[in-house]
Amino acid sequence: MVTKQDFERISDCVYQVPQKFRGDMRVPARLYASDELLEDALQDDSVKQLVNTATLPGVVQYALAMPDIHQGYGFPIGGVAATRAPDGVISPGGVGYDINCGVRLLASHLHKDEIASHLRDLTNALYKNCPSGVGSEGSVPLTAKQLEEVLERGSEWALKNGYARREDLDRTEEFGCIPGAAASAVSARARERGREQLGTLGAGNHFLEIDHVAEVYDARTAEAFGLFPGQIVVQIHCGSRGLGHQVCTDYVNEFQRAVRHYNIELPDRELACAPFDSPEGQAYFKAMAAAANFAFANRQILAYHVRRSFEEVLAGKVKNFDLFQIYDVAHNIAKIEEHEVEGRRVKLCVHRKGATRAFGPGAAGLPADLRTIGQPVLIPGSMGTASYVLVGTAKAMTETFGSTCHGAGRVFSRAKSKKSVRGEILRQELEARGIVVRAGSMSGLAEEAPQAYKDVSRVVDVVHRAGISRKVVRLEPLAVIKG
Amino acid sequence: MSTIIASTMKRFEEIPHTADWSFRAFGKDLRELFANAAYALFELEGARARPTAHETARDIHITALDYEALLVNWLTELLWLQEVHREMYPRCDISTLTPTELRARAFGVPFQHLDKIIKAVTYHNLVIQQTAEGWQAVIVVDV
Repeated sequence: MVTKQDFERISDCVYQVPQKFRGDMRVPARLYASDELLEDALQDDSVKQLVNTATLPGVVQYALAMPDIHQGYGFPIGGVAATRAPDGVISPGGVGYDINCGVRLLASHLHKDEIASHLRDLTNALYKNCPSGVGSEGSVPLTAKQLEEVLERGSEWALKNGYARREDLDRTEEFGCIPGAAASAVSARARERGREQLGTLGAGNHFLEIDHVAEVYDARTAEAFGLFPGQIVVQIHCGSRGLGHQVCTDYVNEFQRAVRHYNIELPDRELACAPFDSPEGQAYFKAMAAAANFAFANRQILAYHVRRSFEEVLAGKVKNFDLFQIYDVAHNIAKIEEHEVEGRRVKLCVHRKGATRAFGPGAAGLPADLRTIGQPVLIPGSMGTASYVLVGTAKAMTETFGSTCHGAGRVFSRAKSKKSVRGEILRQELEARGIVVRAGSMSGLAEEAPQAYKDVSRVVDVVHRAGISRKVVRLEPLAVIKG
Repeated sequence: MSTIIASTMKRFEEIPHTADWSFRAFGKDLRELFANAAYALFELEGARARPTAHETARDIHITALDYEALLVNWLTELLWLQEVHREMYPRCDISTLTPTELRARAFGVPFQHLDKIIKAVTYHNLVIQQTAEGWQAVIVVDV
């Protein structure tokens, strides 16, 4: 059990469990939090899980967690661990089951007043056109060959097949395709699960939301991103569906043998890992990259359906119903990146599990028009509450391997949410606040009740104060679609 | 002959977990523990069988490193069969269970409704323990 007394305070928003806390730690464990959020983090096993990640072979500098940290399995959610490439380990549990779960933000040229009378129709069109819910099947069934292409080319496949515009790819992390992906590393089972699921939202905490820009904190950056006060925007939150889950299941299982083979000692079997340059490590990386590409293509096809829905409802009623892409970020991923560690540029395998890349100005991998600004960072709040657009900073590059938080972070369990909140009542409360709700399951809605989450504004305030990303705008919801 | 369930022992209990789901499964012996863990999966999902549906037997054979890995693989196999056949498996017959091998027949019934889908079964803190009453295991699943 980790207690508050075990932490050293490094600065205003940074706490650290020193390496000497436990004999198996290779580096300290660092948490970005306010006093209040630190207390929240100590309510479950999340800090113990963070300390466990500090034991991974090859982990450098410190194991990190963001203020939205909460208990996961293996890694905590909100965790970042960078391991030396190629001799440090890669861990499927450090990415999670929903590989490249992430968020895409599309923006319109419309002010919220212009669509007020069409909001319900828009919500219905999105619910109809974007398949969601338990076991939902996709709008783009694939042959085995087409699926291979999706796995290896991601959003490029969507572009070639008319579901994307070139500028969407420019505004997507990794330009919508992680290099090194190999369909051959993805099992037959994973492929079978993926074939029918491209272009689906799924269930759980995944959602589609129509929002408006409620507050601008940094006018210059907002303008550079294409955001203005009152603007209608759409968030898409989903991942790689059953395909990604199966890839993670396959490799966590396979790595149980690798752990024995490479004599790796771990405090939790879910942290199973293998050296990045081992055959097992390489196979997982190729499969994970393929699943991540599937997720980029998935969000791209949903974006296509969102555009189609806007056209269906608004054509002839408003001047310009077009939607352009602000950005698309992954928040469950492992990536090969170069960062500075103790004054030297080194190649690292950065695991982000419930954490977002937050590259600052000048970082490699940003499109030309964002290179002097930094990347947009998309932070969805819990259902019915605010979301944020932040910008990556130079400080993130030096302190957090270019990473920041990913959302609100849960504070109580799904079971407790279901017991204390009734889905239908929650829907009525949201509707009373002017938020249109379409959900496939009322019990699923109850599990995602805002009361089950930390206040996203408190989470974002910490990363803003710490300087690892900066607030640009706040979004408020007008309509929510859940599976 | 079905593995479940002659004893009056509680079959499983849900354990609070912040983001995902966790449950403790019980059994008077290891076979019953494995059968009850399977039963718990479909109970937690709120799976409801289609009325008047007929059972279909599915034969399962798994090898793994140890009992814990067998348990994860057994439950994972049932979730896979659930997705492929759109069935639930409240009843099963485990004929072989050694530390590295499981043979079973699961009886599938088409479901008409699921509240929630379990995405994956994890190894997180997974330990199978012998207690005074029999056996138990705490399992965390990703939802």
